Amino acid sequence: MKKNKYLLLISSLGVFALLVYAAVSENFFKEWHSIQAGAKTSEGQLDVRLRQIINPSLGTTDRCVTCHVGMAPGETVVSDLKVAAPHPPVVHSPTEMGCTTCHSGQGLATEKLDAHGDVEFWPEPMLPAKYAYASCGTCHVPLEVPNSARLELARKTFERLDCYACHRLDGRGGTLRPSPATGMEGPDLSHTGIKGFDANWYPAHLAKKEADTSGLWANSFGEVDDNERALLDQFLGLQMGAPSLIRAKAEYNSVGCTGCHVTGNFGGETGVDLSRVGEKDPARLDYSAIEGAHTYPNWIAQHFRLPLSTVQGSQMPDLALSDRQIDLLTMYVLSLRRRSVPDIWLPKDRVRAMRFGAREFASDGETIYKAICSSCHGASGSGMRYPGLPPYPSITNREFLELASDDFIAATIRGGRPGRPMLAWGDRQNGFTAEELASVVAYIRALGGGIAPIPDTRPPRWAAGDAKAGNRLYLANCAGCHGALAEGGEGPALNNPGLLTAATDTFLFETIARGRSGTVMKGFRTPSPTRRAMTDREIESVVTYLRSLGANGKRPGG
Amino acid sequence: MEKAESSALKEIWGNLLSSPRRIYETAFRSGAPKTDRTRSSFVFGNVFLHLHSVRTHIWSLKWSTTMGLGIISTAAFLITLVTGILLMFYYKPYPDVAYQSMKDIHFVVPTGRFIRNIHRWAANVMVIAVILHMARTFFTASYRKPREFNWLIGWGLLVTTLALSFTGYLLPWDQLAYWAITIGANIAQSPREITDALGITQYFDIGGLQRTILLGSDEVGAEALIRFYLLHVMILPLILVMLMAVHFWRIRKDGGIARPDDADEIVGNEAKTSYPVFTEQPEKTYHLAAIVKGRTPAVGSGPENTLPSMPHLFYAELGVLMLTTFICLALALISDAPLKEIANPLVPENPAKAPWYFLGLQEIVSFSAFTGGIGIPALVWIGLGLIPFLDREKTGTGRWLGGPGGWNLFIWSLLIGFGASVGIEAFAIYFGWLREWFPDVPQLAITVINPGTVLTAIYAAYSIYVVRKHGSTRAGAVALFTCFLCGFVVLTVVGTYFRGPNWEFYWTPSDWPGH
Amino acid sequence: MTTKPGKEASRFDPEPMPRRDFLGLAALGSAAAAVIFSLFGMLRLPKAAVLTSPSKKFSVTLPDTLEEGEAFIPEGRSVAVFKDAEGVFAISTICTHLGCVVASRPEGFECPCHGSRFAGDGTVTKGPAPKALPWLKVTADGNRLQIDENEEVPGGTKV
Repeated sequence: MKKNKYLLLISSLGVFALLVYAAVSENFFKEWHSIQAGAKTSEGQLDVRLRQIINPSLGTTDRCVTCHVGMAPGETVVSDLKVAAPHPPVVHSPTEMGCTTCHSGQGLATEKLDAHGDVEFWPEPMLPAKYAYASCGTCHVPLEVPNSARLELARKTFERLDCYACHRLDGRGGTLRPSPATGMEGPDLSHTGIKGFDANWYPAHLAKKEADTSGLWANSFGEVDDNERALLDQFLGLQMGAPSLIRAKAEYNSVGCTGCHVTGNFGGETGVDLSRVGEKDPARLDYSAIEGAHTYPNWIAQHFRLPLSTVQGSQMPDLALSDRQIDLLTMYVLSLRRRSVPDIWLPKDRVRAMRFGAREFASDGETIYKAICSSCHGASGSGMRYPGLPPYPSITNREFLELASDDFIAATIRGGRPGRPMLAWGDRQNGFTAEELASVVAYIRALGGGIAPIPDTRPPRWAAGDAKAGNRLYLANCAGCHGALAEGGEGPALNNPGLLTAATDTFLFETIARGRSGTVMKGFRTPSPTRRAMTDREIESVVTYLRSLGANGKRPGG
Repeated sequence: MEKAESSALKEIWGNLLSSPRRIYETAFRSGAPKTDRTRSSFVFGNVFLHLHSVRTHIWSLKWSTTMGLGIISTAAFLITLVTGILLMFYYKPYPDVAYQSMKDIHFVVPTGRFIRNIHRWAANVMVIAVILHMARTFFTASYRKPREFNWLIGWGLLVTTLALSFTGYLLPWDQLAYWAITIGANIAQSPREITDALGITQYFDIGGLQRTILLGSDEVGAEALIRFYLLHVMILPLILVMLMAVHFWRIRKDGGIARPDDADEIVGNEAKTSYPVFTEQPEKTYHLAAIVKGRTPAVGSGPENTLPSMPHLFYAELGVLMLTTFICLALALISDAPLKEIANPLVPENPAKAPWYFLGLQEIVSFSAFTGGIGIPALVWIGLGLIPFLDREKTGTGRWLGGPGGWNLFIWSLLIGFGASVGIEAFAIYFGWLREWFPDVPQLAITVINPGTVLTAIYAAYSIYVVRKHGSTRAGAVALFTCFLCGFVVLTVVGTYFRGPNWEFYWTPSDWPGH
Repeated sequence: MTTKPGKEASRFDPEPMPRRDFLGLAALGSAAAAVIFSLFGMLRLPKAAVLTSPSKKFSVTLPDTLEEGEAFIPEGRSVAVFKDAEGVFAISTICTHLGCVVASRPEGFECPCHGSRFAGDGTVTKGPAPKALPWLKVTADGNRLQIDENEEVPGGTKV
C-alpha cells in the first residue's frame, strides 16, 4: 500500500507549492506594488499600501489613488512617474469628492483594467478624459449660458483687454503685471460664476487707477465700453471651473436643441425629455448600429451623426453637425444627470433651476433664437426642410418682416400655432417674458437685415369679399400647397386659430398679393406663365374665405 | 514542616514540567500506534476516527474499488466549508451591498479572490464527485442489501449538494445570479402550466405558492437574497452534515465497502505481500468483543485479508483529501470565478444560463418549464430512490458491472443513450418542435410531448426490452441509468457550449451576434 | 413489566408487550401533537401575510410622438404601452415562461432566455412560453395613465 503514501506525499507537496505561489503573487506581484515602490516622496520611499478615498454622502469608495498615488490624501509624490502624478487643480478637491464622481469607472477595483472599466463585466468604461467635466452636471446646472458665438466673443474680449495680465482664470494668467514679486495682484476669477463678483468692478478699477501713483495701473488698465462690460459680466457669470462644459452647453444653445427637447425646467415637446439622459443605463442601449467601442459617449456621438439608424423611428433630423460640434454636444448630453445627493450638497445653481425656474440659456434675443428657433426656422431664419418632415417657414424674408408687426410676431411666439409644431413659447410654465419676446423679435428683424414693419392704417378686419368665390380661388390656387382644408401641407396651415387671430386682413391680403421672396410662395398680384394675375377683389375674397375658417371652425363649403 | 512544604512545591513544579507529556498521554491514551493493538485503540479511542472500523479490508483499499469518490466529495465539502466561512467574514446579504462586498473580496481582502475561486471550484468538484460517486455505487451494485438505506441517504445528499450549489449562485447578486434565480424561481412556479391547463390555478396555485415561499416576495429582491443566504450558509449545510454523519456511520454498520463474495480469494496474495505494516509482526489476531447474538462479523472472513485502518486507510483518505485540495487550488489559480455586472432587473442576461449541471434541464425547459424543471427531475429522482428496492438480485454485487449483461450491455446502453439524445436534440434544433409546426397547439400538448419526454420514453422502452432480454431487473436498471447519464451529459454539453442568445443553437460562441 | 411465571427470562427474549400503557401513549401522543402543531406554525412562517414588495401601480404620460405600433416602455418598468385608433393598452413584458424581460420589436416581442416570440398583441408564436403576455389594467385620467402591473385584464381591452 505504498502508493497511498506516494499519493499523499505528492499531492501535499503540490498543495504546498500552489500555496507558496499564491502567497507570492498576492504579496509581491501586484501592479500597484511596483508603482508605489517606484514613486518617491520628498521624504523618501513611499509607504507601500492600499489607499482609498471614501465619500459616504456620494456613496463612493475609490481606490484609484492606490496607483494614482500622487492624488491620494496627504501624499506629495516628487518622482516623475506619470501614473503617480498629482491631480491638476480643480474646484473640488479629489481627496474629498473621490475619483469616480467625475471620471466614473470602478472605484472599488485595485487593478488597472478593472478600475478603468475595460473589462467584460463592467457596464461602462471610464468617461474619456475630455468629457470629465460633464460630471459637473451631476450636481451643477450652468445657468444663462449664451450661444457659442457670443461666448467666444466674450472670451476674446476678456483676452483682448488683457485681463489675464493681473487675473488668473482656470490656472492661466496673472503672472506678468503689475507686481512681478507676487506674480499677480488681481483676484483669481476662476469661480466667479459660483462665488459671485463685485458688480461695481469697473468703477472700482477706475478709482484705483486714479489713486495709483506708481504708474502700474495707468499702464495696465484702460477704458472699457458698455458693450464690452456687458460681455465681461456675462463671461464672469459663467466661470465655475468647468470651461469645457460651458463651451459644450453654449453649443447646445446654438443649434436649437431646446426647440424640441426639455432639459430641466424648459424646452420643446417634440423630442424626448433630456433632463436625465446622461444617466441612461448603458445595458439598455441598442448598439447594433454603432461602429467602434460600445460605450455611451460613442453611442451619443453616433446618434448625432446618424440619428435614424441609431434609434429606430427617431424623428430627430440630421443636423449636419461638424465633428467638433458633435464632440461638444456629446459632452453636454453626458452632463445631463441628477445624482441623488443629500439636499445640503445641492449647489445654488441647481436649486435656482429646480425651484425658481432660472434660465439655462441667456435671455438675449440671439441666444433665444439660436437655442430654440434655429432648429426649425434655420440659423438665418429662412426656414428648414428636413427629409420626412413638413417644411418650416421662412421668417426673415422682406415681405414677412414688412407685413408682420412686432406685435404679430410676438403674439405668434407667445401663443404658437395650436396643433402645429410651433409651440406656445410664452403661454407655458417658465414661458418667455415680454422682454424676452421683444428681444427675439428684434433679433429676427436684425437677422432679416433690419427691416422695419410698414405701418398699417387700416382696421384689422376689413376684407368683405365673396367667401364662396374665395373658396373656389383657394382650391384652384392655394390648396396645392396649403391643403384643401387649409390644414397645411407643403405650405403652412392657414386655418390655424393662432394665425387667424393674430393676422390682420392687411397681412393676409398683402402676403397673397406680394408672396414671400426666397420661398415657393409667389405674389399672386403678378402673373406667372401658368396663371393670370389675381385682382385685388379676388384676393380680398380669398382673405374673406380664410376668415370664414376661423369664424365658425366649419369645413369650407360644408 | 518546612520540608513538607518544599516537597509539595517541588511536586507541583514537577507536575508542571511533566504536564505537556501528560496532556498528550491523556489525549492519546493508547500511545504510539506501533502495534496492531495500539493501532486499533488509536482508531476507536478517537472521536473523529472511530467512524472507521479499526481494520479495513484490502478490497476496499484498492483504488479501483471506489476511486476515492466519496472521500473526494467529502474533501470538497470540507474545502467549501472552510472557504465559505472565510467568505462570510466579508459578505453582506443585501442587494447591491452584496455585490459591493464581492468586489471588496476581490480587490482588497488579502487572498479574497483566491478563496472565492477555491470555494467555487470546490463546489463544482463536489457536484461532479457526488454524481460520479453515485454512478460508482450504482455500477458496482453496492446499493444492495444491507446498503439500501444508505443509498437513500446518498440520494438525499445529492439533492442537498445541488441545492447548496444553486443557493450559492444568487449570493454575488450579479447578472448571472439574478437571472439564474429568476428562472429557477419561475421553474418552481411552473406547475401552473398544468393547473392553468386544467383551469384550477385560482383555487390551487401550488406553483405560485412554491415561488412565493422560495423568494419571500413576488420578485427577486432582498427577501429572496436573505432566504438563499440562510439556506446556503445554515440550513442546507446542517442538513448535509447530518446526512453525511448518518451516511458514514451506516457504511461502518453495513460492513464497510461492498465487495464480491470471492474478494478474499482475489486479494489473498496481495495481503501477504503488504503485511506487515511497519516492522513488527502482530502479536496476535483478535476480534472485537461484541455483545451481540450470533457470530461476530470477523469470524469466517479471515483477518489476514484486512489491514489496520491506522495507517493504511488514513494514508489513502488523507492522500485523496490532499489531491482534491490540490485540484481545487490549481483550478482556482488558473481560472477566476465569474462576477458579471451588478444585477439589473430590467435587462436579462442573454443567454441567461443556470449553473452548468442544470443546463441539461434547461434544454428541456426551453420546451416546457414544467416538464424540464419539475416533471422529468422528479421522475428521475423517484426512480433513483427506488433502485435498491426494485433490484433485489444477488449477482455482481461489489464488482464493476458484475451483473447480467456486463460490460457489453453497458456499451450498448452508452451507444443508445448518446445516439438517442444527440438524435433528438439534432431533430429539435433542425426541424423545430410542435409550436413551430402548429402555432395554435395547446401548451398541455407540449408539456406532454417534447424532446425530454420523448427521450425518456425511448430510454424506458429500451430498458424494458433489456429487462425482457436478460430476464433481470438489474440489467434494465443498468440500461436505464446509463442512458439517463448519457442524456444528462449530452443535454448539459449542448446547453453549455452550443446555446447562444435567445437560446438559439450556435456551433461556437464566436458565431453569436454582437450585443 | 411482567414475565410469564415458571419460565426463566433470557436477555435475548423480546420484551413482552404491555397490554395497555395509557400513560406512555398519552405522553408520546401529546408530545407528537405539540411537535406537529409547532411544525404547522413554522410552515406558515415563510409566507408573510402581506408581501413587502412595493406597489406595482404607477402613472405615466405618453409622449405625443408615440406612433401606432410603437411601444412606450416607462422608465424602470416591465410594461409596454401602445396607442392605436381604438385607444391605449398595456402589455406586460415579463415572459410567461420563466420571467425574463422580453424585448419589444416591430414584429412583436422576443424573449432572450429561451427564444419565445410573441405577436404584437402578446399571443405566443414560437418557443416555450405557455401562454400569452398578459394585458394589464390601464385607467386613463385625462392625459395621464395609471397602470397596475399586478392586475390583468382580458386581451383586447383598450381605453
